[in-house]
Amino acid sequence: MVMSFEWSWQYHFPPFFTLQPNVDTRQKQLAAWCSLVLSFCRLHKQYSMTVMEAQESPLFNNVKLQWKLPVESIQIVLEELRKKGNLEWLYKNKSSFLIMWRRPEEWGKLIYQWVSKSGQNNSVFTLYELTSGEDTEDEEFHGLDEVTLLRALQALQQEHKAEIITVSDGRGVKFF
Amino acid sequence: GLITLEELHQQVLKGRGKFAQDVSQDDLIRAIKKLKALGTGFGIIPVGGTYLIQSVPAELNMDHTVVLQLAEKNGYVTVSEIKASLKWETERARHVLEHLLKEGLAWLDLQAPGEAHYWLPALFTDLYSQEISAEEAREAFP
Repeated sequence: MVMSFEWSWQYHFPPFFTLQPNVDTRQKQLAAWCSLVLSFCRLHKQYSMTVMEAQESPLFNNVKLQWKLPVESIQIVLEELRKKGNLEWLYKNKSSFLIMWRRPEEWGKLIYQWVSKSGQNNSVFTLYELTSGEDTEDEEFHGLDEVTLLRALQALQQEHKAEIITVSDGRGVKFF
Repeated sequence: GLITLEELHQQVLKGRGKFAQDVSQDDLIRAIKKLKALGTGFGIIPVGGTYLIQSVPAELNMDHTVVLQLAEKNGYVTVSEIKASLKWETERARHVLEHLLKEGLAWLDLQAPGEAHYWLPALFTDLYSQEISAEEAREAFP
């Protein structure tokens, strides 16, 4: 399902799908691709992707133009995102990745704000309650995938604002 | 690098706020000609019904200029088109296109059918925004 997403002008520009030989032009091109990937994933609340999915996604496949970014170039865009701290490979074989259109620290901040605002410091939550509970339905982090959530909580843990603990059937977190 | 006169006009109007009414495209042309005379690297290239304004001192000679003018119709140009329209040898056409790529004025498209297409983003954004406005107009007044 592709929701109404406003593609940037570059997406309609055929050469955007050819890795540019000019170094300066290529830098601009890669920056535009990175922006596009992050905006797209943010709109669709997509937290991770496989390389296969990426190849077939409208993101790298402009169906109307019939132009697609070749897989070697997709890899270069992904590497660029990784260098900027917006992507993390999930497995050694680089078949899928986390796409962090919001940094784990930022997610952590949002979660902690909600906890404090609702006066729930010193409470314990299961991971499920945080991402799928009724109470968080209106929050931006509702629906967050588990890996990204754990990263966010780890960031809070480092700031001594939370502690990841084991609960009866999995993991939970205590906020301070 | 390169920008169409229309695009430049839009940007200037945006920047001037309530004084926007008093800057015409002719005013812009006059101003740019003055800047050009001062040797600041500005250039004006007539293309089709409008002008391309060059804002960075890229080395552009007559060959480059005439190819830019050829690109105005579709936003891109190819070696074949240059050879057919301008009666040039392949090498001369390639040389100019390589230069435009090197100056960052053109982007390469290797997925176009047949041969490589060389696109000018400056011309494209103009064509693209025209298309969008036409579409928006059609949607607003079916």
